[in-house]
Parts: sequence; structure tokens; C-alpha cells
Amino acid sequence: MSASLIVENLSKTFGSTLAIDQASFSVPENSFVSIVGPSGCGKSTLLRIAAGLVRASSGRINLRGQEVTGPIRDVGMVFQAPVLLPWRTTLDNILFVAEMGGLRAADYEGRARELMALAGLSGFEESRPFELSGGMQQRAAICRAMLLKPSLILMDEPFGALDVITRERMGFALQTLWEESRNTVLFVTHSITEAVLLSDIVVVMSPRPGRIHDIVEIDLPRSRTTATLRDPRFVAFAARVREGIEAGETEY
Amino acid sequence: MADTSSLLARFRPLLFLAALLLFWEIGVPLLGIPGYVLPLPSAIATRFMETASIQLQGLAVTGMTTLVGLALALVFGVLLALAVIYVPVLRSLVMPLLAAFNSIPKIAVAPLFVIWFGLGVESKIILAFLLALFPVFVNSLTGLGEIEADVIDLSTLAGGSRWRIFTKVRLMNAVPYITDALKVAFPLALVGSIVGEFIGGNSGIGHLILFGQFNMDTPLVFAALVSITVFTTLGIGAVSLFERMALTWRPSQRRR
Repeated sequence: MSASLIVENLSKTFGSTLAIDQASFSVPENSFVSIVGPSGCGKSTLLRIAAGLVRASSGRINLRGQEVTGPIRDVGMVFQAPVLLPWRTTLDNILFVAEMGGLRAADYEGRARELMALAGLSGFEESRPFELSGGMQQRAAICRAMLLKPSLILMDEPFGALDVITRERMGFALQTLWEESRNTVLFVTHSITEAVLLSDIVVVMSPRPGRIHDIVEIDLPRSRTTATLRDPRFVAFAARVREGIEAGETEY
Repeated sequence: MADTSSLLARFRPLLFLAALLLFWEIGVPLLGIPGYVLPLPSAIATRFMETASIQLQGLAVTGMTTLVGLALALVFGVLLALAVIYVPVLRSLVMPLLAAFNSIPKIAVAPLFVIWFGLGVESKIILAFLLALFPVFVNSLTGLGEIEADVIDLSTLAGGSRWRIFTKVRLMNAVPYITDALKVAFPLALVGSIVGEFIGGNSGIGHLILFGQFNMDTPLVFAALVSITVFTTLGIGAVSLFERMALTWRPSQRRR
């Protein structure tokens, strides 16, 4: 598998605070990679640097052989909040990225409707965001990120604002969407279960300064279900990720 | 039954107004207040009908200067807000100046505009424009400028140019702020027009009011007030109607 995104010796300082210390990892083409760690470990900053929205202090980021120096174009982004425009219908919100890219929205309407169906949003095409539940809004945001089949999708704790039950359902909904598209995904979360369940690779980070402590390859078969959660191998992977986080916290 | 009660709720303000007018019509003579101080509603209505064509002519002049002033305020208020948003240097240069300018009572400098722009419609339009400018500018600044950082990031990553972000995000976000500003700016522009007419000129509702005062024709003054009240109500009503039709997504316009 060729690497889509390569992060090399990346550091970031804010003033005199070292936020990320010498992070290196790569995201293979068409794989799902999670960065997991407690808050303050710089994982969201890392994601913003990968998108070219924030500049690294040192180190390099390569996306498909191109060095990232400014906001990259061929990328989908999902934030913690749905970030839907209140004056647009759900369908038009998903088509928003096509319009921003200077493309004809009508050409992507079919794909948008397909994605909405996969995300369980059929029948809500003409609804405004305020008519949707929090989980539905976030699913619409994921559909929007996948619309243009970007070479990379970045997700910054997309389920962080949802309740636990909705959150688990959203994980499986995301898996369904991802298996259809097989986009390269870099997913930031502080949930170990979520990271192990969804990912091919889990990058474990610890805080102050943000360091990578472990990179775990999760070779559990897909599609993963609630039964996967009880698989001894799943439990072992989750334990290893937890150890990585705890090792980083006891170090100082 | 529900229909009758909702109908009643709808017409309650009108009924209240009718009761007030009735009280005025019957109560004022009992208190012995003469008609040239406070004319009866019936006298005002009669005078209004008698002077209908003059009222209409006056309203055409005043309405024109008000609407032109308001339109200018809309264009320049939005442009000024855009300049301040896109050219950060301007913010530090223009904002203190504008704040100082806004603290000058424009009415007090109105005679100056008559000297500069004459007794014609120009001085009225400029006064209406200046009074309406500030609310439009301030609200445009908020509506166009206060976009969540995530929305800008999302748009940028999707390849959005400045122009596309402006038309599809900033402008759309600003529409409700601007309609709100118009509801405030509309009566202000009217004040500008009428004060302009008070100071100099020989037409418009302001002139009609002065004429009524000069002749102790109090019913005429009141009739003129009725004219501009109807005009303002229609103007603000038009803005509200637009909001109800086009801004259905706003919390205040949502039907639950």
C-alpha cells in the first residue's frame, strides 16, 4: 500500500509551549487511520496542520507526493460541530463543497442523494439543519466531506458532541459510508473503543508535549459489528492503546 | 371555537386601537380640550379626506427622498462594511472616525446641508442617507464579518475563492442582519427627510406639517402624521414580509 499522507518529524510550538514534539507517521492510501489521545495532546492541531490550515514549526507533511504548504484543496473536513449553513437545505449543504470548488452542483446531486441514503438521511433532503437531530446533522456533515471523493478526509472528533448511544451508532454509520467510498481518512478521537473499532491503524498520542507513543495496526476483519467489541483480539488491541496513553502520562 | 379565538387574537390590536379612538372621540370634549389643541379623530379623518391629494403629493416627495436615502445607505453601508472587513488597516483608520461621526447629532448640522446642497431634494436625500447609514453599516459589519472560523476553513478547503465565500456565505449570513437594520433605518431616513423639509423647501409632508402649524390647522398636522405613519408601517411591513417569505430558516420565523 502506498502512503497517501506522510507526516515527518513534525513539531509545533505556540509561543514557548511545545504542542507537538517530533511526530512521524503515515496514512496509507484508502486506509482509515485514527489519532487517539487525551485532550491537550495536540491531535486537533496535527489535523489542522495536515490540512494546511496551520503551519508547522518544523518538519514536513506530504500529501500524495506534494508538500503541504497552504490550505489543501482535495480534502474533506468534518469538525466537531456539524458546521451546516442554516439557510440551506440538507441536500444543498452537502452540495456546498461542490459549489465552493466551482463545480456544477447539479452534477453531484445524484451522488449526494446516494450518500444521504447510505447515511439514513433519505427523506430529509429538503429539511433545514434545525429540523435534524444532532446525529443526523453530523451524518450530513460526513456526507458533505465524502461528496467529491477527496484524496483525504480529515475528521476532528466528529462525534465528540453526541451522546454515547448516538455516538456508537454514528461509528457504524461512518463505517458503512467509508466502506462504500474507501477514502483515505485521518480521524481524531479521544475514544479508544471508537479508534480501534473504525481504524486500520491507530496512532497513540500523549499530552504535554504531544508525542506519538505507539502506532498500532488493527487487522480485525471488516465489516466490524457490535460482536467485534467482544472479540478477544479487539479487547487486546484496546488494552494496548490504553497502555500507550498511560505510558505517556506517567513518564513525567 | 379555536378559529374564533385565534381570529380575536389577530384583531386584538385593532380592537384596542378602536377603543382608544372611541375614548378619544368621546372623552376629549368632556374634558373641554379645544379642537385646535387636540382635534377629534373624526375631525382628523375629515381633514385627511379633504386634503387627500395634497397628502399624496407630499408623501410622494417625502417618500422618494426617504427611499433614495435609504437605498444609498444600504449600498454604502454594505460597501463600507466590506471595506473594513477585507482591508484590516481600514478598520483602525475608519472605525474611530465613524464612531465620532455618529456621535454628531445629524439634525444639528442639517442647516449646513441646506447651505451646501440647496433647498431641493438633494439636501433631504443626504440627511436621510446619513441618518440611515450607521445602523446599516454596523449590522452589515456583524452579518458579513462574524462567520464561524470552521465555516471559512470548510469553504477554503473546498476550494472556495474569496468571491464565492462572499456570495455564498458572508452575504447570505448578512441578509437577516441587514433586514433588521432596515427596520431601524427606515424611520430614521424618514426623520432625515422631514427635518430637511422643516429647514427649507416647499414640498413634502414636513412642509405640510409646517403649513398646518402656521395656520393653526391642527387637524391637518395630525392628518399629515397619519400619512407618514401609514407610509412607515407599509415600509417596515414590506421588510417583515420579505423576512417571513425568504428567511424561513431563522429561529424567529420558524413554524413549529
